[in-house]
Amino acid sequence: MSHPLSSALREIVGARALLDRPSELLAYGADGLPTYNRPPTLAVFPETRDALVKVVRLLAREGCPFVPRGAGTGLSAGALAEADAVIIGLNRLTAILSIDPVNRLAVVEPGAVNATISRAAARHALHYAPDPSSQTACTIGGNIAENSGGPHCLKYGVTLNHVAALEVILPDGEMVTLGNANGECDGYDLLGAFIGSEGCFGIALEVTVRLSRNPEAVRTMLADFMALDAGARATSAIIARGIVPAALEMMDGPTIRAVEASIYAAGYPADADAVLLIELDGLAAGMDADVREVERICLECGARAVRIARDEAERARLWQGRKKAFGAMGRVAPSLVVQDAVIPRTKLPDVLRAIHGIAERWDIQVCNVFHAGDGNLHPNIGFDGRDAEQTDRVHHAMREIMRACVDAGGTITGEHGVGLDKLEYMPLIFSPDSLDAQCRLRDVFDPAHRANPGKVVPVHACREWRMAPAAR
Amino acid sequence: MTAVTVAPDTVAGIASHVHEARERREALRIAGAGHWLDAGRPTSASSILSLQAVTGIVDYNPGDLTLTARAGTSLETIARAAAAEQQWLALDPFGAPSGTLGATVATASAGPLAFAFGTPRDNVLGLEIVTGDGRTIRSGGRVVKNVAGFDLTRLFTGSWGTLGVITEVTVRLRALPEVDDTLAISIDEHPDTLGTLLVHLRTAAIAPLAMELVNAPLAHLLGLAERTVLLIRLGGNADSVRAQRAALGFAGNLATAPASVWSALRACEPEHAMVVRISMLPSLLADCWMAACDATRVDGGAPAALVHGTLERGVVRCIVPEPSPEAVDRVIAACGAIPGTVIFERLPGPAWPRVPDALRGRLGPRVRQAFDPDGILNPGILGATT
Repeated sequence: MSHPLSSALREIVGARALLDRPSELLAYGADGLPTYNRPPTLAVFPETRDALVKVVRLLAREGCPFVPRGAGTGLSAGALAEADAVIIGLNRLTAILSIDPVNRLAVVEPGAVNATISRAAARHALHYAPDPSSQTACTIGGNIAENSGGPHCLKYGVTLNHVAALEVILPDGEMVTLGNANGECDGYDLLGAFIGSEGCFGIALEVTVRLSRNPEAVRTMLADFMALDAGARATSAIIARGIVPAALEMMDGPTIRAVEASIYAAGYPADADAVLLIELDGLAAGMDADVREVERICLECGARAVRIARDEAERARLWQGRKKAFGAMGRVAPSLVVQDAVIPRTKLPDVLRAIHGIAERWDIQVCNVFHAGDGNLHPNIGFDGRDAEQTDRVHHAMREIMRACVDAGGTITGEHGVGLDKLEYMPLIFSPDSLDAQCRLRDVFDPAHRANPGKVVPVHACREWRMAPAAR
Repeated sequence: MTAVTVAPDTVAGIASHVHEARERREALRIAGAGHWLDAGRPTSASSILSLQAVTGIVDYNPGDLTLTARAGTSLETIARAAAAEQQWLALDPFGAPSGTLGATVATASAGPLAFAFGTPRDNVLGLEIVTGDGRTIRSGGRVVKNVAGFDLTRLFTGSWGTLGVITEVTVRLRALPEVDDTLAISIDEHPDTLGTLLVHLRTAAIAPLAMELVNAPLAHLLGLAERTVLLIRLGGNADSVRAQRAALGFAGNLATAPASVWSALRACEPEHAMVVRISMLPSLLADCWMAACDATRVDGGAPAALVHGTLERGVVRCIVPEPSPEAVDRVIAACGAIPGTVIFERLPGPAWPRVPDALRGRLGPRVRQAFDPDGILNPGILGATT
């Protein structure tokens, strides 16, 4: 049965920008996390800002829920539509509207792909700093929804630290400006509240991002270790020494071997138990001293060798292995789940050991590839989703891993968002009152709960549930 | 204001005090060290809820570069603990070092170091808060990267106590730089010269921790030559600082200034001063600087105000020590003509109704309503609607 708003929406966006046949909508049933699959009944892809505004206002008038979607590269099942919710695809609004090289600002549309912003800014020797591994596909609107990170966020901060202002259409169709590109902002930090709201607070129509100067010098190093522990210790030691690398990434043995067996082979030593990919950037002066110091710390912590990329080609190759590691794991198993917990950096050795134990107990294969510098873990589990028993074991193991990370003082997600996938873990880190406070904030932006309903905060934790504890 | 001060020494004590105040519909003025109760619009609260007894570092693991402290802990206590591990909290808000962490976060106060390290918004990882309905909640966490749930940490940071009482704060620390040098450059204040200098500085091969412009009266107060001075704080390893100093050769005569100029700058603001903060696109800083200096000049003479500005952030702050009613009029009028955002930090009481509310638009009042439904916390401090 077709969606009741199909024809009204087709009139706004045109036939080319609307999908309502089940066969066309299959691709929109999942995001980057294949364990969830719920094809929507209707998806629209406005091609102009004006059409987007009209779509949101029509849905508001009709009281129809909607789910904003960027490139669908998210890893938390956050861009999936439940029941009669309409998917609003923003990936056709890709324009880079202006670049102000003097003030280092760029104004872009929500569907602009992350990497295209840096490409457009390159002629001014500027770039947009947050660089999720999916940056060649993911959109700035999606980055804002998730408050995305990326390897270089260790030194430069996440999306939140690089957005100056947003023009937003609220779920009820009203327009507001959050933040201020021309200076500071008086009053509450609603821009900060909006970033990372996973599509539950409205849709950004126009995004003003801050651009950063390209570093004068970059050095990329690869340290390889025969023990995961040693790599984790080196990570802590480098940061404790006061050196903040631009990025400090770790891959474990299974990941290294998956990458080396794939088309993304980066020349990592295939017999190593861990490699650290360390990038230093900044002023050329003083860089050599830091490189020597990092090398010394790695060797002291037990590195077999520390290799420094000699040229841009070698550097790009080392990075490609890291950025395409998730892709390389496609060879290992037909299905893949990935977690995103963050732990205090000093707990890395303990938690990695715990994950190893959990994997053995449930007889599953975990590959660890993650942002070691900020303690943001990405345990990947490859499995066969058609095998119910195996899937069940994976699910149990995931829960135990999450529990271990929370027990270590960590959090359940560092950059992928809660979406649907991590809803069940929210009560592990937030009390009912704290979850209720989040619901209250959502009510400010979307009192009718029509924007991306059912995501981020478990519904049972909201006020009604809290007021009737007996019903638990 | 002669008000009763209550200073519970536990979070539970704070929560029950807020809860009881709500039952009685009694407004509370939230205070840290109580240094700056004249900042922000006057409130109608009859009693002060002080965080001064809720103190102490709760958790500090140097290897993680994170620290959790109760809100009443002073910035100097935190600085001392961190320095013992060669670390620091890279926030230097104006005021005394005995000011509290909670107040710094509640007001989102930032100083010159915001040039490199951002404001409290960029450095706070998690909070514990007693909201206006007396409930104790937590936001964020103790790790450096966290997107779990909606971002109440950002919302409460800079909310001036109007949404809840911050009782505990987790912050990100940094390693102290190996070398930390400050240079003072006397500059010619002609608009063109200043503008050109700022352009060159923005593209120079330097990565300063702070770049702060101070006007002549302020430079004098800081113990420097009585001229407009640019203070540049360079940090890093010895090689890097040496090279940065060399890269600044174009700027003219580089004098080394003592590190104490930064603490003197933080302490330069007398009680009952009028303080106005103007922000704009960084490219307009030179013009804005001139306009701010002019606005505070008496009869075409020397500026009567202490003026300083942070390069790159495009922020200029004017401090008028003992403002006459005429001076207040003049500054408020002049601010209307400046192309930027004007935030009034401190004004004589009668002047407040003449400046716009901090909370404008539709969402602000709704946020307030959501977290402090009876409006008992710092009522009026952000404007009439609160």
